[in-house]
Amino acid sequence: MSTQWVIAETAALAAELIGGLRDLEDGVLTAFVGVDATEAKTLIALGADRVVALAPGNSTPWEDYVFPLVDRARTEAPDLVLVGATRRGRGLAAFLAASLDAPLVSDAKALSRREGRIQADRMVLGGLAVKTVSTDAATVIATVAAGVYAARAADLRRSGPIETLEPVAGRVRVTGRRLKDGGDVNLAGAKRVVGVGRGFADKADLALAEALATALGAELACSRPIAEFFKWMPEERYIGISGQAIKPDLYIAVGISGQAQHVYGIRDAKVIVSINKDETAPIGQKADYSIVGDLKEVLPVLTGAL
Amino acid sequence: MKRVIVCYKWVPDGADIRIDERTRTLAMDGVSWTLNDFDRNAIEAGVQIKAATGCDLIGVTAGVDTEASGKDALSRGLDSLYYLSDQAMADADSRTTSEVLAGMIGRLGGADLVICSEASDDEYAQQTGPRLAALLGYSSVTCVSALSPSGESLSASRKLEEGVEDVEIAGPAVVSVVPDINQPPFPSVKQILGAKKKPSQAVALAEVVGDMDRIRPQLRTDSLLAPEVSRKRVSLSAGGVGAADAVAGLLKALAAEGVL
Repeated sequence: MSTQWVIAETAALAAELIGGLRDLEDGVLTAFVGVDATEAKTLIALGADRVVALAPGNSTPWEDYVFPLVDRARTEAPDLVLVGATRRGRGLAAFLAASLDAPLVSDAKALSRREGRIQADRMVLGGLAVKTVSTDAATVIATVAAGVYAARAADLRRSGPIETLEPVAGRVRVTGRRLKDGGDVNLAGAKRVVGVGRGFADKADLALAEALATALGAELACSRPIAEFFKWMPEERYIGISGQAIKPDLYIAVGISGQAQHVYGIRDAKVIVSINKDETAPIGQKADYSIVGDLKEVLPVLTGAL
Repeated sequence: MKRVIVCYKWVPDGADIRIDERTRTLAMDGVSWTLNDFDRNAIEAGVQIKAATGCDLIGVTAGVDTEASGKDALSRGLDSLYYLSDQAMADADSRTTSEVLAGMIGRLGGADLVICSEASDDEYAQQTGPRLAALLGYSSVTCVSALSPSGESLSASRKLEEGVEDVEIAGPAVVSVVPDINQPPFPSVKQILGAKKKPSQAVALAEVVGDMDRIRPQLRTDSLLAPEVSRKRVSLSAGGVGAADAVAGLLKALAAEGVL
């Protein structure tokens, strides 16, 4: 019987990865997740055969679980390990991969198994291209982001063991954790998003985009320069390869040129609209509907018409 | 801190890559190569540690035609460069790269601290730092947004989804830094001219890798294609239509799509 693992920081992400793995292949599925007893039972109902609860102490980095996981992987020899692609998860996955000398597919999509090989797609060159990679290694590791897979329906008849695992201390000690008060930015779940880019010459003009977002019931987002260089918006609102990837029904890109890095984050939007004064900007080729014009003229008309 | 190593990558400039819309293939000929953008932050992080501790600051890179990277990398404040240039690196995956870099760092006698950046512009796999740490037996600390040496140990702040995590690291470590950590300055004319005089040493693959099986890529590339564009590409401003008519056309289209 083959063995698969899911490793994730949260129950919500673990549930998605369990759903994805269950659709991919049969086997004994162990989920290593930061959960309490109730959440652990839910994950078993959602398809895990065994749940190992992770609860690191205040001074322990979450990544210290990699040491016992390496030992366990040597015994259990999982054929496929999906790790939730959070910031900690990516680091843990790479350390695990090197320790086991296993291949790791970062931010994998469209995972499949054919003729004994695991195949997956991943975005490279800043979103310019999709690389399809495959491997026949005995253990394959992949990181998978939230939203790639859906959780299965719960089957409450399922039961399975719930264990705990102690991290093995390394030489890194956590001395403090400062939670940010980022407000309630929920781009991942937003149905409509208005994105602003460098076409906004003046910070005061952002009010035009805010008015449009309010009229639409949309979340406001931005391209990387607006958050990272101009600091006009918090980083949680920036969309792109190193920021958020979203999948709203409607995305309106205002003053956004359409660099591949940004388009990476909006690829799964149902409808993309561009408002840009430059007719030749790449966004025109990446949008369903484009209006060529000055955003200061177009936005008030659009907001007024809603 | 006596010796700090910064790993950097020499990458194709994405702006030069042309896409054939019909076949979705990428034309890489004539593409210029450049220092990976994120690695400017890694080098600058090393420069700041050097200013605080007086350590040796060595740049390490492995790739194809990497000797061309020396001028730019050294002008940013590295003391010296240790590079490997081999056509075998053309198919490198993260395993290959980290095994080769670990071999190079081992040959240098290790380091107190190895600094990598968050990712490379081309592969964006985010694996090299933690993989290197595992291979070298060092601690791995990713997402580092602040770094300061304090005696034999090192304090770092990590930028994570829910906030900032402060850590103390004892013993040698590989850190991966995020762009927030600093704003790398442009090299001065003096630095650019001075780069030529800095020591730069090439090393051959056979000198750093004992078993060539260890550097064989584990991931095979089956295809590399531009993503399929399935957008409608309708211009509502075609024919010089004014803002009001274009907006009216848009609202009609969005209502038909069922997204309003």
